[in-house]
Amino acid sequence: MPSLSTPPRDIDSGHKFDSLFADHYLAVYRYCLRRLGPADSEDAAAEVFAVAWRRLEQVPTGEPVRPWLLAVAYRVVGNHYRGRRRRVRLSARLGSEREQVVEPEASDPEIRLLRRALDSLRSADRELLRLSAWDGLSNAEIAAVIGVKQNAVDQRLFRARARLRGRFDQLILESSGVNARKAAT
Amino acid sequence: MIELLERADPAAVVEVDKERLRAKVDQAIGLTPRLARSPASRKRPLLAALASAAAVTAVVAVVIALRPEPQPDVFQSVIPAPNRLGLLPGVEQVVGLETGGVKGMAIDGDTIWVLESLHHKLNRIGAADGAIEASYEIDAYAEGVVVGGGYLWLSSYDHEGEVLRFDPETGQVDRTIALGGAPGWSAWFGDSLWINNEQGDLFRITTAGAITSMGTGEVKGQGLGYLWVNDPATELISSIGPDGARGEIVIPTHPGLETMSGSGVRLLIEAAGKLWLMDGDYPWGTNLSVFDPDTGELRTFGAVTFGLHSMIEFEGRVWLTSHTDHLLIRIDPETGEVRRYPMPGKPGGLVASGGSLWVALHHPGALLRIDPDAGLLEAGDIVADDWNRFPHRLLCTGGGDLEGPTIILEPYDWIDYGSWSVVQAQLLNQGHVVCSNGYVDGEASPEQRAAALNQALIEAGISGPFVVVANGDGVHTIRLFAEARDDVVGVVLVDPMAVGFGDFLEEQTGDHPPFADLDPATSAALDFGTVPLVVVGQDPEKVFLSPQFIAGFGPETARVVNDYWQDGLAFYRGLSTNVSSRVAAGTGMHMVIWDQPGLVVEEVLNVISRGD
Repeated sequence: MPSLSTPPRDIDSGHKFDSLFADHYLAVYRYCLRRLGPADSEDAAAEVFAVAWRRLEQVPTGEPVRPWLLAVAYRVVGNHYRGRRRRVRLSARLGSEREQVVEPEASDPEIRLLRRALDSLRSADRELLRLSAWDGLSNAEIAAVIGVKQNAVDQRLFRARARLRGRFDQLILESSGVNARKAAT
Repeated sequence: MIELLERADPAAVVEVDKERLRAKVDQAIGLTPRLARSPASRKRPLLAALASAAAVTAVVAVVIALRPEPQPDVFQSVIPAPNRLGLLPGVEQVVGLETGGVKGMAIDGDTIWVLESLHHKLNRIGAADGAIEASYEIDAYAEGVVVGGGYLWLSSYDHEGEVLRFDPETGQVDRTIALGGAPGWSAWFGDSLWINNEQGDLFRITTAGAITSMGTGEVKGQGLGYLWVNDPATELISSIGPDGARGEIVIPTHPGLETMSGSGVRLLIEAAGKLWLMDGDYPWGTNLSVFDPDTGELRTFGAVTFGLHSMIEFEGRVWLTSHTDHLLIRIDPETGEVRRYPMPGKPGGLVASGGSLWVALHHPGALLRIDPDAGLLEAGDIVADDWNRFPHRLLCTGGGDLEGPTIILEPYDWIDYGSWSVVQAQLLNQGHVVCSNGYVDGEASPEQRAAALNQALIEAGISGPFVVVANGDGVHTIRLFAEARDDVVGVVLVDPMAVGFGDFLEEQTGDHPPFADLDPATSAALDFGTVPLVVVGQDPEKVFLSPQFIAGFGPETARVVNDYWQDGLAFYRGLSTNVSSRVAAGTGMHMVIWDQPGLVVEEVLNVISRGD
């Protein structure tokens, strides 16, 4: 049943939207969480579904629906960034405009290093890698989300992975150097 | 590494209170007015279904990066340089670039510098004769190039953003300056380079390469003797004077004008004593605003077209390029008159020198020298349909009093409608009405395209009969369109791509260029009946049987791929009982429309005559 507070278009629309929400709320929320942190992620996820409601006739059915929702989320998150950036600049200048996402500290030192390596990449590279590894999208789906052709994603993702590997290896080396120095002292 | 990255997901096990989130959604819905349904009542049943399918999956047209993509390696070796772009009215000279992918251009006296970003190449071209005087390898991905202080300053994305100082005397990058973030716009002002990074940090870099932080702001351009940057605190654009004083003049804003990066004013120039501001980000950049320093007022000039890219002042007029609409645009700043000229490829950079305009095309890779007074082919009305982030364009130009079918030129997916402009110009000379179809970059299925084309024709009030002409994978769109209408009286297929060719190519070569394709079952149900049909094939010796292809993939693969292609041509020839075909000898993959536009025109006229 559609929620009582949901303005019903018709019963079928209500059912469709309810199914959409039930099937994908977690994926959309996690997408937003990864990029905005806990403070804004619920609001952003709600905004995504509000867009989906307004464009219900355009929401695909079946497999393409998740990329469609994440494409909306991609833009909603972008708007949040811009709004956040303005707020930050108005209140106090920060040294970096990187996403201020509070991530739980990983116990695995390799994962900590990998996250550092990921953070050091360009935002476009980070987004591709996250869409692939964390949101579980295929390259074709990523192309749909960010609005480029699949061969562009193929190439960019390949390069992004190479850059991530390079940064990660560098951090591993630096880390082992630090550990070696600590051991020596 | 990928597995480790998957494990590094901080949200993998995070749950959310579903009910609370749903309550927020409901609240958002309740507060947000719903959009009206777009009218679809005029669609025919099949096209209504196609339109619905288009709406369902049309999620991809927003292209956030202007960075062009290289050709797939499969075809890299077999694409010849275009040699007929000079047939386009107004084109004085065509300088073939080896690779294309031009991002940055700069003019320095009688030298044009052209940066082929994707291929890490900087070309030095003489503005007098268009000769490529030198070509330098740049060991970085750089997009911007600015001339100043006897050097070129390249803005690079490598190493988290840096500026490269290039010495034209030695042909070497001799200094690298870190920006701490991806580079933004830059300008040479006074005795320094001014540039910002993606975080909005503003820097001043001296000729010697010393970098000084200048606070925050994003460089927007120069004009009226000032450098103009935005102010993140107020979100207004203000001046920086030659003495470095900031904020002497502040440009007011108006509703809808976004001054910050991301979706804001991309650049500004001075023309006719005023500042012209280009608003919006790719591919949505559409609007211009004009700031009058005498009155301190900013007024909206209005929408020009989508995908505005470059903007310069030249001989008292404002000139722009549209990357998505394949247009060169001229605006008279005094009268506000706007004229649009189709370009035979994706135009990017734009500079002026010696009375000529120089337009860089991404595909095909070329630099066009254009005489702005030589009667350029003018675009007619543009029917724009911003259909659910799947913007579509139909560019129609009438050509005199000749009664006859309207000719529709359907592009190959990668190349888009400007590619037809040479053919279009010649057909217009024959007195025909020609509509060149086009789409903003992004995946779009043939079904979506056929529906969009039909809808645009309806909205433009253009009725049949039609002769439809398709290039490459545009064949799929045209077949669907012809099936849904009963007023298609002729079909010309140029280099028609075989159904399933992309998948087949991937099987054979491991490479899958982003060709549009048609479901085999759908394809099997479509034919042209007795409608006159011409099939123009490319020269096998220049494509799959070329020495380059054979060298790359081996003779057996070359043979198999060519057989598949030839089978496709045979299939297309069987779609009409009134068919003729020919081979465009000497012309390779999808280059017929550029290499032999006369042949295409001839066959279009042929098919028209057969339908009489």
